[in-house]
Amino acid sequence: MSTTATSPAPTSPTSAPRGRTPRSDARRRARRREAVAGLLFVLPTLAIFVAFKFVPIAGAGAMSLTRYRLSGDVSFVGADNYTRLLADDAFWASLQVTLLYVVLFVPLILAVSLAAAALLDAQVRLSGTFRSLLFVPYLSSFVMAGIIWSWIFATDGPLNAAFDAVGAGPVPFLSGSQLLVLASLAVVSVWKGFGYSMLIFLAGLKAQPADVHEAARIDGAGAWQRFWRITFPMLRPVTFFILVIETIVGFQVFDTIYVMTGGGPNRVSHSLIYMLYDQGFKFFDYGYAAAVGIALFVIVLLLSLVQRRLVEGKEPA
Amino acid sequence: MTGPVIAPASTTPPPAGPGPARPRAGVDVLDGPARRRGVRTGRGLRTALVTLLSLFTVAPLLMVVMLALSPADAPTIPYALPDSLTLDNVATVFQVGAFPRWFANSFVYATVSVVVVLLTAAMAAYALARKRFPGRNLLLWSIVATLMVPMQATLIPTFILVARVDGVNTLWGLILPTLANAQAVFLIRQFIRDLPDDVFEAARLDGAGEWRTFVSIVLPLIRPILATLAIFVFLWHWNDLLWPLVVGQSDEARTLTVGLATLNTETASTANVMAAALISFVPCLLIFVLLQRQIVAGILSGAVKG
Repeated sequence: MSTTATSPAPTSPTSAPRGRTPRSDARRRARRREAVAGLLFVLPTLAIFVAFKFVPIAGAGAMSLTRYRLSGDVSFVGADNYTRLLADDAFWASLQVTLLYVVLFVPLILAVSLAAAALLDAQVRLSGTFRSLLFVPYLSSFVMAGIIWSWIFATDGPLNAAFDAVGAGPVPFLSGSQLLVLASLAVVSVWKGFGYSMLIFLAGLKAQPADVHEAARIDGAGAWQRFWRITFPMLRPVTFFILVIETIVGFQVFDTIYVMTGGGPNRVSHSLIYMLYDQGFKFFDYGYAAAVGIALFVIVLLLSLVQRRLVEGKEPA
Repeated sequence: MTGPVIAPASTTPPPAGPGPARPRAGVDVLDGPARRRGVRTGRGLRTALVTLLSLFTVAPLLMVVMLALSPADAPTIPYALPDSLTLDNVATVFQVGAFPRWFANSFVYATVSVVVVLLTAAMAAYALARKRFPGRNLLLWSIVATLMVPMQATLIPTFILVARVDGVNTLWGLILPTLANAQAVFLIRQFIRDLPDDVFEAARLDGAGEWRTFVSIVLPLIRPILATLAIFVFLWHWNDLLWPLVVGQSDEARTLTVGLATLNTETASTANVMAAALISFVPCLLIFVLLQRQIVAGILSGAVKG
């Protein structure tokens, strides 16, 4: 998202000689017409962005410095919300939940999407069909994913029916330990979301030059060895891109939690966005909720900057 | 004309285009018999693995279908297979409570957004790519910069804004804030920038008016990117939860996703919940079946972020 705006506009055909010749007058009129037309064309978008992006973004920062309650009384409190945030056990607990979730979710989705892409890349027969079958959950909503997986994970659901059959007792996927609950939630998000990363990995695989792989094969490298020694290292930029994107997605987890656990049991899945939602729409403490939003923004921004640094440093482009 | 490929944004992974196809295992004549056997078992293993993975993705969806079509009180999966399947649950869902309203809300939310986002973004993108006017680069940068701000970070101020103008529990309050779509502006602008100059030059020499040029020249040329974006904007809205959840609080104002999320926690039979979930998924599935190629192309061009 940075390459674009720098591209210079086509400079006007050799800046015209100054002075009021009829030609320069005509040119000036044409320019003014072009500028007016341009402004009219951007006007609707400009209005929408001012109202619903620029103002809310500025508003988020401003609100986080206020005490803003449902009643509508607003008072400036400086950095109070932030000092309160840093002293709030609930905030640190939410951050811990989110981090643990990210640590479970990101490697899992990376592994599944990479494995899926590698399998599809090697698949000869029906590769198009398999690609569709693997991708199709991506079309569903997290809400629907949450509903079906709640049923699958339920104590009387199919997974526990299987566990019962081997005498392993019911596994409390959504009501057990924090690790188990967050891992279960991560599986749902991986199921719903890995199609995207899979396609990007697949494109990366398809773009790799054939000769390197061929040479390694003739040298007697096995498929497994070729993958880890050649294919995977060559995928590094792609892997890194997906790593950052999925980490950001992980930090924003909310929908599945809302549907499946409601942040519970005992707040073990009470993530950062869940805290923001609770503060804003359960306790109507808008200023404080805005501060939680800013905290999320800072985290995402840092991740994006790290990504840009590393990716753009790697390849001159 | 050759449809320009959208240059991937710097955040998208490098080579998305078709590279030289790699020769597949098993076609090499140098392979000895032993190696060929190894290749064959390797291929069998891979097919088994990809089948397993497909089971992981598809089985839950089949379970939704099965549960939605099982008669309400009959034994069904995971303990038994129902004797017969029925559409009763699907019909019931449409007759009960506010479900039809939720469906209509989602439909309006998604379709109105698609139309307005595409039209306004295309207009802005055209100007940003082809017109010189004061503040152009500043505007483009500002729009692109908003991509860095996650939607949740502005959830509270956006809600307050909408609440201040009495937009809570209204369709317009739901739709308006989601019309600011920076990805759409950015991607269409890249697309228009990469079109050959002479098209626009010809239109200018023909003396076509600005709006005529936009409608009869620009819009037809950018159809591919519009089609891709239409799919994704529709899916984003149709599947969206957080914003509809906070802005549509009354039963009447809920979208399908919000309604489904509440159904699941309230007392509704599994058969009905699954039928509702199935109905919510059908439009997405239809889009996928009909427009799979554009969806894949869209992801590879950077049209969506995770």
